[in-house]
This record gives sequence, C-alpha cells and structure tokens, in this order.
Amino acid sequence: MVNGVISMAKRELVRFFRQGHRVVGSIAQPIIFWLFLGSGFGASFQAPGLEGVSYTEYFFPGILLMVVLFSGIFSTITVIEDRNQGLLQGILVAPVPRIAIVFGKVIGAMVIGLLQAFLLLLTIPFLAIEPGFAGILMVILGLIIAALGFTALGFLIAWNMESTSGFHAIMSVFLLPLWMLSGAMFPMTQAPVWLEWLMFLNPVSHALLLIRMPLYQPISELLTSSQYIIAFIVAIIWAVGCLMLALSRVNRQQCSA
Amino acid sequence: MISIKELNYFYPVKKADKRQALNNLNLKVAPNTFFALTGPNGSGKSTLFSILSGLSLPKDGQITIDGLDIVRHQAKIRHMMGVVFQSPALDKHLTLAENFQIHGDLYGMEPSLLQKRLDEDLSWTGLKDRLGEMVGTLSGGMARRVELVKALLHRPKILLMDEPTNGLDPGSRRDFLDMVDNLRRERDMTILMTSHIFAEAERADEVGILHKGSLLASGSPKELTKRLGHEMVVIQTSKRKHAEFLKTKLSKKTGIKVWQRDSELRVEKVDKKTLDDLLSHYRDRFNEIAIKRPTLEDLFIHITQEKEES
Ligand SMILES: Nc1ncnc2c1ncn2[C@@H]1O[C@H](COP(=O)(O)OP(=O)(O)OP(=O)(O)O)[C@@H](O)[C@H]1O
Ligand SMILES: [Mg+2]
Repeated sequence: MVNGVISMAKRELVRFFRQGHRVVGSIAQPIIFWLFLGSGFGASFQAPGLEGVSYTEYFFPGILLMVVLFSGIFSTITVIEDRNQGLLQGILVAPVPRIAIVFGKVIGAMVIGLLQAFLLLLTIPFLAIEPGFAGILMVILGLIIAALGFTALGFLIAWNMESTSGFHAIMSVFLLPLWMLSGAMFPMTQAPVWLEWLMFLNPVSHALLLIRMPLYQPISELLTSSQYIIAFIVAIIWAVGCLMLALSRVNRQQCSA
Repeated sequence: MISIKELNYFYPVKKADKRQALNNLNLKVAPNTFFALTGPNGSGKSTLFSILSGLSLPKDGQITIDGLDIVRHQAKIRHMMGVVFQSPALDKHLTLAENFQIHGDLYGMEPSLLQKRLDEDLSWTGLKDRLGEMVGTLSGGMARRVELVKALLHRPKILLMDEPTNGLDPGSRRDFLDMVDNLRRERDMTILMTSHIFAEAERADEVGILHKGSLLASGSPKELTKRLGHEMVVIQTSKRKHAEFLKTKLSKKTGIKVWQRDSELRVEKVDKKTLDDLLSHYRDRFNEIAIKRPTLEDLFIHITQEKEES
C-alpha cells in the first residue's frame, strides 16, 4: 500500500518534470503576475492596517497560495488523462486499496505545487518582511494544509469528469473567482456586508490567512489571534472533508445497474 | 479455476432504462486451460473481463476464482490475476523500466525480484536494450509485448487478455501466441482470452461463443466444428446482392439451409453435383463452388445467424 502510494506520487512528479512546458508555465506565470502587478500598484498601494507594506509584499502570500492551489488542482487533471488512456484500469485491478490511488495522486500533485511555492519562498530575504524561521515553518504548514484540501477537491472533480476541457471550465469558473475574492489581490476590509460573508464562507480566504498572517506577525500573536485560529480550524476541516469525499467516491466500485 | 453461474450485468443508459450486457451467463474454465472467448462486437466480452478483473462488481450470479468468491476475496484474487486490457494500459510518458517499476510496486514486489523476472521475461521481446526509452517511442506491437510482460511479472495463476493481439502483424501475432502457449506449459496458468480472429481461437483448448451476453456454444475447437457435420459447400460470388439472390433461390427451390456472409454462401450437406445443376442458370452470378471442412468461423456464422433469425 505504502509502496503503491509512493510509486504513484513519484510518477506524477516524474511526468511533471519531463513536460518542460508545464514546468516553465506553472512557475513563470505566477512570478510574472506578481512582479507585474507589484510594480504597477507599487506606489499607490495603501492597505488599511498594513501601513508600510508595499503591494509586492501584500501580494506575496496570495501568489504563494495561487501556486499551490492552481498547480495542485491542475495536476489532478492527470486523473482524466489516465482514465482516457486506459492507464487507470491497470491501476484499479492491482491489489492496492483504492484509497492508495487517492493518496498517490493527491500527494504527487501537492508536492508539485509545494516545490514551486518553496522556490518563491527563496525571495523572502529580498522582501521587506521578516517572518523568521518559525514564521516560515508556519507558512509552510499553511501551504500544506491548503494544498491538501484543494488538491483533494481537484481529484474529486477530475474523477467525475470525462474531458479535460470540462475540468478547465469548472476550475476557471469557480477557482479563479474564489481566489480573487479571498483578499489575495486586494484587501477587502471596506467591502459590503454580503461580500464579507462571502469571504468568510470562502475556504480560500481562510487558507490565505494561514499563509499571510505568519509572514507579517510574530508567532506569539498568531496563537492568540482568534482570526488565525478560526482560519486554521476551517482549513483543516476543509482539507479533511475534501479528502474524505474523494476517498468515499473512489471506493465506490462500478456496479451493475 | 473460473466458474461463473447465472451472471447478469446491466449498464445504466440515459434514454432506455438500462442495457443488459450479460444475460444469465454460465461459464466454466478448468485449471491450466487456454480458453478463447469469441463473439460479435457488443456481445459482452469486455464487460465480462471488467467483472473478472475486479473493475466492476456483479450484483447477482456467482463467480468463484480458484474456489474463492470474487466479491468477498477481492484482494487475494487480484494477486492471482494478470490482466491485459483491450485498450493499452501503459504510461507513454514514462520509460519501460518505470512502467515495470510501478507495476512491481502495485503488486508488492521486491526490487530484486522484479529485476530478476525482467531479465527472464524480456528475452523474447527483443526489447531488453530499450528499457530506458519512453513507451511512446515503441511501435504498437512492441507496446503490446510490454503489456504482456508486465501482466506476467507477478506470476499470475490466471491471465485475462482482452483482444491482446489487436494491432499486431501476422508474424508478431504468431510469436505472441507461441509465447503464451509456452508460458502456459511452463507455469501452470489458466488463460482466458478474447479474440475476433478464428485462427487464434483455434489454438485454444476450449472455445466459447458469446452472443448478446450469453454463451451460445463451448467446447474444444474440434468438438465445435464437428457440430456442423463434416463438410460444407462454399459458394463464392462477386457481390453481396448476388449472394442474396442465390440464397433466396436456393432456399426456395430446395428448402436446404443456406448461410450468408457478405458475398459468400455456405450450404450444408448437399453434394456438389446437385448444387451445380441447381445453379447452372446463374453461372454469371458466382465465381466458384468449393467443398471445405467447416472451421470455427463457419460455426460462429452459423450459430450467431441462427440466433439472430430466431
Ligand atoms: N460503459 C458502458 N456504458 C453503457 N453501456 C456499455 C458500456 N460498456 C459497454 N456497454 C454496452 O454493453 C454491451 C457489451 O459491450 P462489451 O464492451 O462488453 O462488448 P464486447 O463483446 O467487448 O465488444 P467488442 O468486440 O466490440 O470489444 C454493448 O451493448 C455495449 O454497448
Ligand atoms: Mg471488447
């Protein structure tokens, strides 16, 4: 079982790194986005409660989150490719429990996203933020929790999809707006009440807080901040929930009608 | 080794209620037998394979593999089973070695054991020096060989193959079947294979003909062809419509049974002389009349057509 999971996760990584365009695309796109918007808004940006934080720094956690979410979720598209290529049936008849397939895929896709996020973390010394070692560990923890939940969600959607184009459509209709409304791009402090509710219900907002807060605030403050603790709990529930849904869906074997 | 009793299988379909793919199917395959399953497109062969391999679950009927119930002992049975699907199941973006490695991991094989078996099994394929190449660079036939090697790596007691020689040239097809034959002798293996090629099915110990989800006939190729009587007369025409014309003429005049397949007619148990006389007016409508020993293909056409007409 464990060997099966590792083997499948490894396969995701090998395939990813072999497809050069995927590597370049998924790393370059967020970086360009970040630098571009960062320099565009740089001077005029002023976030309430975050005086002295430039837009480049403000946008940094949003970009980190974008990398793990999008690349994690889009990596699960290989589920659809595997099925269409006939590969999946070969795995499904092997003597590994079906949950191993979920873990293999999700871990593989998650690691792809995390590796890219780690690459971005290397820019921290050049930014005007000083999260410290413990802070960075907290950021990484947040990234892992966020990646887990959304990759499992991607898997769940991909498992039920027949075409990769359908998957792309669903993702751009839901995922992109959720990310934009999470406060990743703009502070949403003066938003109307309905929008604040939407943000509170948006799992991406909570994932974002898990990543943003440790970058700006010392750990001692985090552990007493109700905002952080709520975000943490919501993100964990989200991750476990998505994973459970994916597991139970995959365990359902095709049955005679 | 494989025993199937009163198996039904339905697919959900949007418009209709459901589609029956297997209909009260009964089938027994004895240990160490090479069983070839044949049948028209859509007769349920792949459906049966997906149930036997554990992709889909049967709802009724009873299936046992080596005495074990297929639903209750899934994990055990999976270890005993090697599967070659109708559609390819290799990762084109990985090398041959990586594909084998994944298989080894999924079947819980030690790396050293995997290596040893690869050394043994790859010799006949001519692919030993291409282990590091991407599967995508192999020809279709080579990829099929790789699939077979892969399916055998964990030394299954039962090998399921759904049209495994699909896309192989006649030479490779023969090599492939020779290989399967040898393996079976060396290793005590039960093989269940589907095929549309009768020359292939004739090499099996036992042949079954599936039609609309049930087994129409089964037995050794010899037994089956015997059912058709000893000899048949084959009338070869140049056009389908000529064949149709002659068929109606013949059945009207004599009442003997005539089977048609495209531009060919088969007539049972009539001597050639009578037939020559009967057809003397229609010389321009056929090319030749010949006497042939019945083949499996004849039986197949015979019994499936009979079934369609009744
Ligand atoms: N996923 C599916 N959903 C609905 N109907 C299906 C599905 N798969 C197969 N069928 C139907 O079940 C019946 C049996 O199909 P099956 O694939 O088992 O035939 P087969 O004997 O393997 O045919 P072939 O020789 O073409 O491979 C057909 O009527 C087919 O349309
Ligand atoms: Mg088929």
